[in-house]
Amino acid sequence: MLLDLGLTSETPASEFIKMFKLAEKGGFNCLWIGEDLEKPYDIFVQASIALLRTSLKVGTGITSIYFRNITNIARAAAGLHEIGRNRFRLGIGVGGIQALKKLGISPRKPLSAMREATFLLRKIWNGETITFKSEKFQLKNYYPRFGLKQKIPIFFGVRGLKMLELAGEIADGVILSGPKTYLQKAIEIVKTNARKAGRTENDVNLIVWIPTILISKREELEFAREVVTVVLADTPRNVLNMSKIDVEAVMEIKNTLKRGLNIAARLVTEEMLNDVVFYGDPQELCSSMRSLEKYGINEIVFGPPFGINKENAISKIARTWRRN
Amino acid sequence: MIYGLSVNANETIEEIVKKSVIMEKLGFQFVWVADLPSQRYSPAIASVIAEKTKRIRIGLGLLSPFLHSPSQIAHSLITLTTFYGDRFELCIGPGDKDQLKRVGVESSKLDNIPKLLLKAKEEIVKELRRNMLKVRIWLGAQGPKILRLARFFDGVLLNYAHPRFVSWAIKKISLPSKYSVQVGIYAPSYIYLKKEEEPYQLLRLSSLIVATGTSNSVLKKFNLYDKVAKAKEELEKGLTPEEILSHYPSDFVEDFAIYLHCTELDGYLSKLEEIGVKHVVFGYPQNFSLKTIQDLAHSLFKL
Repeated sequence: MLLDLGLTSETPASEFIKMFKLAEKGGFNCLWIGEDLEKPYDIFVQASIALLRTSLKVGTGITSIYFRNITNIARAAAGLHEIGRNRFRLGIGVGGIQALKKLGISPRKPLSAMREATFLLRKIWNGETITFKSEKFQLKNYYPRFGLKQKIPIFFGVRGLKMLELAGEIADGVILSGPKTYLQKAIEIVKTNARKAGRTENDVNLIVWIPTILISKREELEFAREVVTVVLADTPRNVLNMSKIDVEAVMEIKNTLKRGLNIAARLVTEEMLNDVVFYGDPQELCSSMRSLEKYGINEIVFGPPFGINKENAISKIARTWRRN
Repeated sequence: MIYGLSVNANETIEEIVKKSVIMEKLGFQFVWVADLPSQRYSPAIASVIAEKTKRIRIGLGLLSPFLHSPSQIAHSLITLTTFYGDRFELCIGPGDKDQLKRVGVESSKLDNIPKLLLKAKEEIVKELRRNMLKVRIWLGAQGPKILRLARFFDGVLLNYAHPRFVSWAIKKISLPSKYSVQVGIYAPSYIYLKKEEEPYQLLRLSSLIVATGTSNSVLKKFNLYDKVAKAKEELEKGLTPEEILSHYPSDFVEDFAIYLHCTELDGYLSKLEEIGVKHVVFGYPQNFSLKTIQDLAHSLFKL
């Protein structure tokens, strides 16, 4: 299993550079950049900079297919593929519904849109002249002037049952996130559907990205509980239903959140903590991340919030991961 | 006079970088990264150029706010400027109708394009200001309605090459003296020492694209409508400019491109200077090869 670093596009420039440099030095495999639609950075420019300044693989993890014209995503990915000499990976998904709504975008028919987006991206990269019409995409005799020799891997950042099935059927990889008890089922769905589509399990690269928190003092456990509170409040019901987490208990946490994060955090149980985040000292953290290897996970993302001192956390995890 | 060259047409990124580094060494002040829907995504290309060069200013555009939202355009500029400093400028304009239509953007169905364009510019400026940045924004203009917006921009890049068109466009802009808007041109170019067939054919193609993108009112004004109308129709049917090129006369280049022998360049530039042009962007296919770039630099800077 390989260790990746996850950052979000809101990361300030100087911190962004420091962190991906640390990741490269620490022997990480890939940098995933999650797109925060409300913050003022261009994820593709950030990816370009990371590709130019490190030898890491770099991926968008994810960018929404509803936010840009599909041809803009295709040509950005094509450029990054060239810049990184095959180190770029394109992570796509629907994106955060609330963030999209704020931008006036309502993602309709997401399942067909993801299937069509994948189909179109591959056609465009193949340099074909394309005419295609659906509710979401309209291309008419579109002719890209950049044919690519190698494939750009498409990763799905998805969570619902149907989306996981689709990922197993057509994606090159899946970025999974959610409670660990949900992940086990999600992995199975992806694998089953890969087999159904006549693919092997190895055709779908499985990545897990859930919050990781390095804890060096007992008091920092409170911080971890707060993180779990926020994550659970934002986890869709269908994902919770696939996990072993008590949905009613989560509803109570959500309601209590109105009275304050620290109050709601008191309702987070040990079981929830263990299911939703990776936490602990470097050794505990690495062991718990490695524990997912048995389910066939290929890469694990060490991602936000990292811990109280982010840079220190990255260096410590890199050292411990290498030793194990 | 400020000189720039455009990149990002049919080149690989490796070639774009090589050319940009040479342009900087040769003394060009600007490299403009074109952004047609059929080409590579210009903000990412701009980051590679910024990474591999030191001083040359990098223009993004023309970017159409109907293809990239104003906030996306602003975010690209914010990211580039944050990482590489104040080296970027932007040119926005409606974009090539035919190319936009091919990617599902029907600009002909948009209501009041000038108003939308101006609104987009304001949104970009607002987002830049929110991040305490100021970037020079050029208007990419051709038709009379868009030309009227020039006063709201820091500069206007006219998609014209022939001095009679440029002169007409400047009159249309009719800026009162209180406005300090720079005027430039951005046109397909081929300045040669010894004419070569391949860049010449590419120049014909680029001229055809510009010609078919020119508004009917302008074409009529200069008695070019009949010459261009059929080409417009054929593109409308879905044919590519390459497919229709052979049907069209080569004199398009005289009207829609800068096509000159090196020895003729000084005279041409003097004419432009006389009518108020301060910035010239030599568009595709002047960047065809290192040789075509060098030939231009030799003529411009007497190297």
